Order: sequence, then structure tokens, then C-alpha cells
Amino acid sequence: MITYPRWLERNTGKEPVLRLLGIGNAGVNIADRIAVRAALPLETVALNSDLHSLNASVASKKTALGPMTTHGLGAGGDPEMGLEATRESLEELRRAVEGADVVFLCAGLGGGTGSAATPLLAELARSNGSLVIAVVTTPFQFEGRRRSRQAEESLQAIAKHADALIHFENDRMSEITAPRTEAEETFAACDDILFQSVASLTRLISCPGPMAVAVPDLLAVLRSGGGSFLFGSGEAEGGNRAHEALEQALRSPLLDRGRLLHEAKKVLVHLSGPHSLTFAEVAAIMQEISTNTSATSLLHLGVSVVRDDSAPLIVTLIGHCGTSAATEHAAPLAATDAVRKPSPALFAEEAISSNPPPAHHPEPPQTKSTAPKVKQEDLPLEPIARGRFDKIEPTIVEGEDLDVPTFLRRKLKR
Amino acid sequence: MAREKIHVGLEIGTTKVCAVVAECRRDGEMRILGVGESPSRGVRKGEIVDFKNATQCVHDALADAEDRSDHEIKGVWLAISGSHINSFNNRSSVTLPEESTISAKEIESVEFKAKEAGIPKEDVIIHSVIQRYYVDGQEGVIDPHGMMGTRLEADFHIIHGVTNRIQNAIRCVREFDIDVEDIVVNSVASAQVVLDEQQKQAGAVLIDIGGGVTDYIVYKDGAVCHSGVIAIGGDHITNDLCIGLRIPIARAEKLKIEEGSAITANIAPGDKITLKNDTGFSGKDIDRQMLNMIIQARLEELFTILHKRIQEVVPEHLLGAGILLTGGCSLMRGIREAAESVFPGTPVYLAHAQAVSGPMSAFENPQLSTCIGAAKYAQAVHADMPEESLLMRLKGFLAGRI
Repeated sequence: MITYPRWLERNTGKEPVLRLLGIGNAGVNIADRIAVRAALPLETVALNSDLHSLNASVASKKTALGPMTTHGLGAGGDPEMGLEATRESLEELRRAVEGADVVFLCAGLGGGTGSAATPLLAELARSNGSLVIAVVTTPFQFEGRRRSRQAEESLQAIAKHADALIHFENDRMSEITAPRTEAEETFAACDDILFQSVASLTRLISCPGPMAVAVPDLLAVLRSGGGSFLFGSGEAEGGNRAHEALEQALRSPLLDRGRLLHEAKKVLVHLSGPHSLTFAEVAAIMQEISTNTSATSLLHLGVSVVRDDSAPLIVTLIGHCGTSAATEHAAPLAATDAVRKPSPALFAEEAISSNPPPAHHPEPPQTKSTAPKVKQEDLPLEPIARGRFDKIEPTIVEGEDLDVPTFLRRKLKR
Repeated sequence: MAREKIHVGLEIGTTKVCAVVAECRRDGEMRILGVGESPSRGVRKGEIVDFKNATQCVHDALADAEDRSDHEIKGVWLAISGSHINSFNNRSSVTLPEESTISAKEIESVEFKAKEAGIPKEDVIIHSVIQRYYVDGQEGVIDPHGMMGTRLEADFHIIHGVTNRIQNAIRCVREFDIDVEDIVVNSVASAQVVLDEQQKQAGAVLIDIGGGVTDYIVYKDGAVCHSGVIAIGGDHITNDLCIGLRIPIARAEKLKIEEGSAITANIAPGDKITLKNDTGFSGKDIDRQMLNMIIQARLEELFTILHKRIQEVVPEHLLGAGILLTGGCSLMRGIREAAESVFPGTPVYLAHAQAVSGPMSAFENPQLSTCIGAAKYAQAVHADMPEESLLMRLKGFLAGRI
């Protein structure tokens, strides 16, 4: 396994400092979401050349990039301008990454600011000895070839410096939402997935527990070259929570409804639950996952316990599937940090996906496939008899479970 | 060909599996040769939940149909239903080079483009029904073939469903080496025989309330403009009675058929129905008011949902031919009144298969509308296709779909 001396030393003492940098318009969006919605031990910094977007941001720290170069109007999708703005604000960038143990870099590649500043930030953070995890998106195909090329170049540059690169293809994002969803909702879902992946990674790294996920384990999964990344997450409460949470995680469309898990070479399973989480539940989940994975895949398990007794059981699956030939070479090289040569497959296929909900907090929008189930749990009508329809798929129209006799529902409302 | 073409319609319903063997003449006439039925097991809400049992029932129904019609069944047209079936309208367009006429190629490509509209990944398109064509913005073109134009647009009504669930129904039939020639959605099938051309032109809603699901289809100006499935049917009424009156399911079903009504007015207070002792059930008095109230509440709710959905696409006054109710549940007393109270001012009729000949008991039974419709659909599809390429096209059709 790769060693991370600085990280491991620090791990024994005080809480690690996790920092999220949102770069460019898309990055600032993510930073905002993190700042507003999640109770995560994460500092957020927004960096942008567009002052307008920066002013609207609610991140705890804001840094304007290249105020002289762009006059605060943004780079307008021009990487040259983005690069110049970045050079102008090099000192600010250096300060932004200082003193963090883990740095998340969030950006939408293909534009001006994000594409130019992210590789540089990765390099700076890395030279400070921080663990660098980049979470980036590449543009939709319909945005044109030029943007795709810019994104690709930037992606290669980031891969050289970051410890792990999580890459979402926007084209695949559109598959997450139903085809006829409104455009705004689809864009929001894309942002949301980035947000959720960061939230779940943060939870993984920072949550204490009887069996914490070792950072090298996480990186080993995240950094396998080639192929594609898998993400799935589910949460549930009540008697059958172990099964339900896992079901939800497996049903994630980004795992292709659990099918892709069979091909996964490495799978990291993280369970987070209240004190009442029993060993039997952990065993049951692992048992079920092992039936869903191939015999040769490597399973990493992490368990963390939350103080809050009403917390749901959250199952997060992070996996990697595809060619592992390159992996063995890429990892040791990566540790030396000198020539981390990205394999071409990394850009072509690598796509990671996630919908894990944030730690102890309510309703991140679930994926479409899980929505009806969750909705039903929220209904106050649950205890009412559904008679012979008890065990089959409920008929839900406009949020009402129509299997429950009409006269009963009407009476309840009167 | 000594005999005319014979088509078999099969429906795997929640209450019963039925197969209709019909002789279809070239002139469009259709005669029912035999109907095979088997009470259904392993089907809930129009979808198979117990494969083994359902397969057995399909076998029984097909064997019964073969006996009665004296015809060996080789292939069937399968009617399918279930809440997974959805629909939407989509417009597509193709641009033609200058000074050219519209050929079959352009018409095909406009349909192909309409089908490209996003449906969920696990879904498959079952039907794409042409609504109308536009040539260079000119509305209401019925057949653009051979017309001059630079731009051909078309509105399609697209019905799609979850591939795996459809596959299950198909596999059920294939167990016995019987070919599924094609599938048809319940509502589309029923409309083939229940509605005539005038009704489709005038605007009509066909509601087929079965045991587990309600299928509906809306016609306006001769074209389908909306269709859908709600997973509510007669079983729900039975279940409501079972819970509300605290009687066993089997008894509730019998009570529903023998005494049930959706009319709550004009019942003398204290009017009781006495249920006799039965094995495993000690007798009980049932309040008729209560019984009818439960049924009425369920049906009224169902119609309210339908009303809301239909109004989104067609205002009531455009439904010249009104609402036609068919399916087993349309036999419920007072269902017409229940529908009329929700669709004020729109005429409501009870309907069954029309324009077919054969034993009266077959086509006058609203329970068989879908099944007869599936056979009629087969006839309609065959009439549209040139004889030689039929086999090829069907093969391609199925290969692409299944």
C-alpha cells in the first residue's frame, strides 16, 4: 500500500482540516451548496474571476481571481484569459490552499476559470503536502468540441498533481434524471451529484468509528486507472434498515442498478449509523454485497457510528471497475509524485457517480428510482391496512397510496 | 388460401386470462371462432408476479381456445398493461432538399426521429401512433406521401413501458413454443373494436376498467391524443369491502358482484344484506348504505383522477362522443352514474366490442373488449402491410424490440 507519512502522523492528533475550493462558476455553485446544506466539517472557499457570481456566493471565504485582467467580469470561457487571471492571483491561490490537510477541488472544466486555475491549485496544494482530491465535470457534448478539448487538457494537467481525480461526465448526468425533466432540474441534479460525492467523501474521511476507512484504501479505490468509477448510496431507518439502505444504494442508476458492481475490481463499503447499529446488520450487508460482487473483487469495509440516536443507517458504495493493468503501475508512481502519467483511458471513460446523502441531515433529493419509496415512508397513512395489496408495488398517484381504501383516506381528511 | 387469415388475441388479465381466436377477412370483417378463458393466478395489477402460476393459466386459456375454435394456435397478439406504461406526445421534423416530393423514406425518418425522444433507459417504445402531419407548416395533412414540400413535421403519440416487465409477459406465452407476433397496449387494443371512426373523429374517451388496472385512451379529431394506465381496478373495490366490512376476500368479491352498486341515494336506512354462514365464515349482516358508499367512493376517486388527466389534454366540450366504459368492472351497477357525476355534461355509455360477428356472448361481454381488440389490431396491422414483406417486417420489428 502507498504510504502517506504526513497524513498518518497528523491523524493521531487533532482533527484534520478539510477544505473545499470551488473554482469557477460551477465550483462556486458546489461550494454554496456545501456551505448551506451540509453540516460537514468542511471549510469552503469560493474562487472565481466573475465578481458577480462571487458576491452572490455564501461560501465562508471568497477570493477574486485576476481582478485586473478580467475586470471582475469573468473569463468568458477563454482559457487564455483564465490563465492570465490565475497568474495575477497566484499569491491568493497559495493562501487558499495553505494549512489544509485535505483539499477538495471542485470545478466544471471546459470554461475559462475552472480549467485554468484547477491544475495550478492542485499543484500548489500538493506541494504543501495536502491530500488533493479533485471533483470535476466535463461539458456536455452539445457544448461543442472546443470546450471538450479544453476540458480534456485541463483534466490531464489535474491528473498529474491530484491524489485522486473524480470525474463526472455531464453527458452521463442527464441519464440520472428522467428524460422529460425540466432543464433547470437536470442542471440542479448535476450540481447535486457533485455535492453529494464531496459530502460522502468528507463523511468517509472525517467520521470516527470502530472501523474507520483508511485513507490509502480510499485512494486505492479512487485512483485505479482506466475503467469507470461507481458510486451508490442509500439511507434507511426502521426494522429492515440494513436491507433497505443497501437496496437503495444498489439501485442507484449510476451503478446501473447494481449490475456494474459485478464487474468492480475494488469496492469500498462505508456504513454510518447510530449506536444501535448491530454487528448482525453489518454482517448482513456485507453478505449481500459479496453476493453482488465478483469473487475476485477486493472489498474494503468502513464503519462509523454517529452520536445521534435517530440517525439513519447510511450505506455508501464506492467502486471501480475496468482494466486494472495500469493500476499497479500508476499507484506507486503516484506516491513518488514525479511522473504521474495519466493513461488515456482515464479521460475517455472515467466517470464517477454518486448520490450519497449528507451525513445526519435530511433529504438530499434521492435518485428517481428511490423516490416513490421514500415518499411512501413519509406518508402518515402507512399503518393503514392495504389488505391484499400489502406485498406488491403500491399505486401512488400524486403522492397518495391508492391501495388504501378510498373511504378510509377520505375520512382521515375530513 | 382456403381459409381467411386467423388471428389470436391474448390478454393476461388480473382476473382472467383469455384468448380470442378470430377469422379476419380481407374486407375488414371479423368473426370470432372461439374464446378460451381461465381464471388468473399469479397476476396482480395487470402484471405477472408469479411466473409459474401465470404460465399455467395462459396454457389453460390457450388450450380452451383451441378446443372451442378448432384451430391450432401458433402465434398470438398479446395485450399488455400495467402501471409502468406511460405515454407522451412528441413532434419531430425533417427537412427536404428543394423541389422534391415527400416519399416513404422521409415519412419513415420523421417517425424515427420522433422515437428518439428520451424515454427512460429501461423502457422500450411499444407504439408510436401518428397524430397528424404538417407540410411546410400547413396543418392537418393526413397523408403527405407524394406532396411537395421542404419541411415535413409530424406529431406522434408515443407509448412506452419497462422492457423487462413486457418481456415477462412475452416469456409466459413462449413457454409453450407459441410465438408472440406482436404486443399491443390494452387501451389501444380495446379502442380498435369499441370505438368506431365517427366516435374517434368526434372526440371520445375509452375507459377500460379491469380487475387490477384501468386503461384509458383519448381520441380527438380521429387521432390518439392521450393514453395511460392507472393501477386501480375491481380488485381494489373488493379489497376495500374486505377491509371496510371485515369480511373475507372471497366473500367480498361475491358480495360485490351480487349486491354491489355505486349508487348511494334511495337506500332505505337500515337496509341490510344477510350473508349466510359459510365454511370458515359465520354469517353477518351488511349495511347496504355502507356497502355502496365504499364502492362509490372508490369509483368516484378513480374517475376524478381520470377527469383531471383528461382535462389537461382535451377540454370536455370537445368530447363529442363522450365517455365509453368497458372492461369487467363496467358491469358494476351504477358505474355510469358515478362517472356522470364526475364528468358533468359529458355523456357516458357502457360499451363492448362492435363490428364483429360471432357468438353474442363473446363480443357483448365487456370483459373481452381488449382481447377481441388485440385480434382486430392484428388485422389492422396486416392490412397496412404489403403481403410479401410482412414476415420480414415483423421479424425486424420483434428483433428490434425484444
